Amino acid sequence: MIAFLARRLLFAFALVIVVSSSALLLTRLAPGDVTAQLGPFAPAAEVAGTRARFDLDRGAAEQWLRWSSRAARFDFGDSFLYNRPVRELLGGAAVNTAVLAAAALLVATALGIPLGMLSGSGGAGAGLIRGVSLVCLSAPPLLTSLLFVFLAATTRWFPAGGMTSVDALDGGWSTWLTDVAAHLPVPALALALPIAATFERLQAQSMAEALEQPFIVAAAARGVAPRDIIVRHAWRVSLRPICGVYGIAVGALLSGSFVVEFVTAWPGLGRLTYEALRARDIYLVAGCAAAGGAFLAAGSLVGDLLLAAADPRVREQGAP
Amino acid sequence: MTRAGRWLLGVVVVMAVAAPWLAPNPPDRSFADALYAPPTPVHVIDAGLRRPFIYERRLMSRLERRFEENVSRPIQLQWFTAGRLVTVPEAAGGPLLLLGADAFGRDIFSRLVYGARTSLALAVLATLAALVVGALIGGIAGYAGGRVDDLLSRLTEFVLVLPAMYVALALRAAMPLVLSPAAVFGLLLVIFALLGWPIVARGVRAIVASEREREYVAAGHALGAGPWRMLARHLLPSTVGYLAVQATLLLPAFVLAEATLSFVGLGFPDPVPTWGTMLQDAANVSLLGRAPWMLAPAAAIFVVVLGVNLVVQGRGRAPVQLEP
Amino acid sequence: MLAAAAVLAAAVLVFRLRPSDAPPPPTIQRGGQIVASVRAEPRSFNRFVSRDQVTELLTILTQGRLARINRATYELEPWLAEKWESSADGRTHTLHLRSGVTWSDGAPFTSADVLFSFQAVFDGKARSVIASSLTVGGQPIRARAPDPQTVVLTYAAPSGPGLRLLDNLPILPKHKLEAALAGGTFASAWNASTPPADIVGTGPFIVREYQPGQRVVLDRNPRYWRRAEDGSALPYLDRIVLEIIPEQNAELLRLQAGELDLTSSELRPEDYVPVREAEDQGRLRLIELGVGPDADAFWFCLKPEVKGKNPLFAVVQRREFRQAISHAVDRDAFVETVFLGAAVPAWGPVTPGNPQWFWPDVPRYAHDDELAGRLLDDLGLRKRDPSGVRKTAEGVEARFTVLTQRGIGWYERGAAVLRDELMRIGIVLDIVPLEFGALIERLLACDYDAVYYRPLATDLDPAGNLDFWLSSGSAHLWNIGQRTPASEWERRIDTLMLEQAASLDFERRLQQFNLVQQILAENVPVLYFAAPRLYYAHSPRLRGVVPTVQRPPVLWNADRLGVTR
Repeated sequence: MIAFLARRLLFAFALVIVVSSSALLLTRLAPGDVTAQLGPFAPAAEVAGTRARFDLDRGAAEQWLRWSSRAARFDFGDSFLYNRPVRELLGGAAVNTAVLAAAALLVATALGIPLGMLSGSGGAGAGLIRGVSLVCLSAPPLLTSLLFVFLAATTRWFPAGGMTSVDALDGGWSTWLTDVAAHLPVPALALALPIAATFERLQAQSMAEALEQPFIVAAAARGVAPRDIIVRHAWRVSLRPICGVYGIAVGALLSGSFVVEFVTAWPGLGRLTYEALRARDIYLVAGCAAAGGAFLAAGSLVGDLLLAAADPRVREQGAP
Repeated sequence: MTRAGRWLLGVVVVMAVAAPWLAPNPPDRSFADALYAPPTPVHVIDAGLRRPFIYERRLMSRLERRFEENVSRPIQLQWFTAGRLVTVPEAAGGPLLLLGADAFGRDIFSRLVYGARTSLALAVLATLAALVVGALIGGIAGYAGGRVDDLLSRLTEFVLVLPAMYVALALRAAMPLVLSPAAVFGLLLVIFALLGWPIVARGVRAIVASEREREYVAAGHALGAGPWRMLARHLLPSTVGYLAVQATLLLPAFVLAEATLSFVGLGFPDPVPTWGTMLQDAANVSLLGRAPWMLAPAAAIFVVVLGVNLVVQGRGRAPVQLEP
Repeated sequence: MLAAAAVLAAAVLVFRLRPSDAPPPPTIQRGGQIVASVRAEPRSFNRFVSRDQVTELLTILTQGRLARINRATYELEPWLAEKWESSADGRTHTLHLRSGVTWSDGAPFTSADVLFSFQAVFDGKARSVIASSLTVGGQPIRARAPDPQTVVLTYAAPSGPGLRLLDNLPILPKHKLEAALAGGTFASAWNASTPPADIVGTGPFIVREYQPGQRVVLDRNPRYWRRAEDGSALPYLDRIVLEIIPEQNAELLRLQAGELDLTSSELRPEDYVPVREAEDQGRLRLIELGVGPDADAFWFCLKPEVKGKNPLFAVVQRREFRQAISHAVDRDAFVETVFLGAAVPAWGPVTPGNPQWFWPDVPRYAHDDELAGRLLDDLGLRKRDPSGVRKTAEGVEARFTVLTQRGIGWYERGAAVLRDELMRIGIVLDIVPLEFGALIERLLACDYDAVYYRPLATDLDPAGNLDFWLSSGSAHLWNIGQRTPASEWERRIDTLMLEQAASLDFERRLQQFNLVQQILAENVPVLYFAAPRLYYAHSPRLRGVVPTVQRPPVLWNADRLGVTR
């Protein structure tokens, strides 16, 4: 088990390096650079100064070398957009995104998996559940996020955006917590619904397949109560595909969704990444990619562990 | 249920194929006086029942998007003229805008039926490609295990976290500035397939990895079945249900992703309508409440996804009768 | 009879005195807070190192200048300098600082702070982004201080804008930033991690807290020097909150819901209808700011080094070609379709939104397809086959790629309208909308045929826009950064503009600039079609609003804003 974890850690580390390096190089390859942010027709001296500050006047390979040797000392360079070290920016944003991701994952799991079990076993309202899921999958995230902001703004049930409100400025920890909790529902729901729909569809399919398995049919023939069949036997078997995708969902959620965070003004990683990409803020792009890589590796590990827990056959075979 | 799905898909395909005949207007024609115009009401009652007609519409204010019907001038719909099912030529008091007009004054309904061609062809092909690649890589990873699995799984993760927007931007920069729609189509197909397969592969790997521990696989080996044969004949078929769900997930995602890539310059030139870009244009709060017809492409995507879902995940009842 | 007249006169008098006829001066209550939105984070709290809009806004709210240009009247107003005298040659200005002004931390404001600010602008290491706007005749403005209340500025050459240049220079506190400048960390001083208490200023507000990604909270500066006409202390407001809302749709929703009092930018033409409805319900106030100071622009790359080998360049280079295109565009229709009517036709870069320098008699090109066709025929671009596309004698099609920015409704609509208009005279345009970074790269490298875009002028005074007018300038759109002027008329504009910028006589400056506008219009290196009319919305509880077409439209006057409770 320890060897397994050590190997995965090593892989995760390699993934972070490869991903952030390729992000850096891709930023160089993409047309335009960060100096466009100075304005379309900035004075030449200013453009040259900014290029020099970000090593953009050097070759891509040289820039990568200088950047990686600094990164080895945990200095990931400065962000142009924020005029601060990338490291400082990533920490705060990652925490905010983690809060949002945890809430969204909770909602998505709590909604998607039970509903999938229900619709997969042909229970009441299966058609309705399927229909709602497909609506959630067909709507562009931009529209769903805007819709939630719109609903929040018109009903005034929740704040329509942001993570805290200015009134909580002088409050203590408990004020801060309730304030954040009040701001969570809008972005968390916008983020969770498509994922819940994905879980629901996957769970419904594999539940339906699990119910065809001989041992389930046999149990039904023996007269085991239907609810026991679904909850005790079929569910466990039906979890495999969900586990495979769960890791990706965790990783993707932790890297942040730029559309949702952008529209609901949530100060997280997704928004940071999007702004960095748009502005070609090269070191911030690399930093965000590194964070994304780390989270995905973590998510994928969680997924694999879940898979092993759900299906003993895989565990015995030796992966973890 | 499966039959209902086939019907739905059939209707959409017919719509796409018959677009030139169904669309009342050319999809790239801008009517300068119809910017953000609401749908043209089609009337049948005018002092008694009549054949369907519309009233001539006058633009009152562009900024306020106000139009008025000139009730003194009813205009008959023209059926089966000029190779179109139904239309009202501009000269005769048209245009006929069944779903209103967009920001350029183009007919949304006509763009919707034409857009079905590009959007669906692209999304369907890309989905198939992503499924095939994903099933293969995921299957090999799950079946082989060990080093191969590690390598392929980490490759999957790498592709998943790569900033796709930059890949697209870099690719775009390497291309000529003006691309033909066919070139854009091919390029998008490749990009979607490249971006889509990892998610498929993850799930397939999970299923195959646990499936291969089952008795029948061991039995198969004992009987001398080769690894490829085992994979193709026994293991991958067990993932068909999963792949079917993935198809319903990927299809709408690809239709929508086209709009995102078009934002970074990898899109079709603006006269070619696609559902993704039409929806992107509609994502404006000032329009949503007052011009809900601009969301027609979302409804169209839903119909397609529902159709696909009914066909591939057809069953509506549980296979085992659980309820007493 | 006499009595009747007296009664009548009294009645008139009484009538005149009725309060509704002479509205009382608006009295604004002290206190309250407003919430405004900005679209991005501030890159710095130091305007010397960043030119982004949010940094500029924060500087207006927290810092003072020696003299300020009133954004509504365009007049230069005494600010931290109370009065001044200028020498006859316009090169020496003696400024007397307002007495009793203190920084927000209580330290006295003196001429040493002014000297420090000038030093920081022109410091070699600090590389200030405002240095070029404070350069006269190629030389920095020099400052010396005979005593703590007096500053003497010396210009290397006479300057047309004169002391108006001082509006570009926020005065920074020496006692807080001296060490950073000496230590070479001035560029990163006053960034997001600086404790707000260290960011002191002479402006109406002070930074209370910056929550990255969320908001900047500004509190009233109790030591602010300015007083209202009735002697009451300014600013009226206790607090301004700048919420960071990156997405424009969400911003509008929150404005409509009453979560915001005002937004950072003007409304899109599409937003007019819902805001108008909200106004009818009393939830918002819709104001027309007027015609914006910037027109849209369409231009061809005229750089011979890059485009020389292009077979169409010989034609594009001829002014008759560009004139023909100007004739082919129906500007009235353009205004209607591209801006939904919320614009006025434009014939040059200076619009009615810049009343001081706008010249209504600038040469115009009437919409006339036939004339356009004749001009093109004379250039050898003829319709030689039934396709209707014009070709040169060598058979090269008149086909151009037009770049524009992706994702902005009216850019894409404008480019599409242009394509349709030019198609009628046999010229084909391929529209390529590019994302911002990619567009700018091509613009600077002259790697395009034509562009449809709206470049924003940096200054309303033409002397502040020399980078556009001079052939060597970095914003000389059609042929950036020339060593020697590529054409005779560009040389003439160069001479006129340099003279104009160094002239002290406003009438003469105006005449010369009109001539420059005429030369530009005759040679049409850039075609202008429309200048948008700007609309803005704010909450009805806001008082003391003096709107302007310049940014920020309302907050420039923040110290006199108030709210009803």
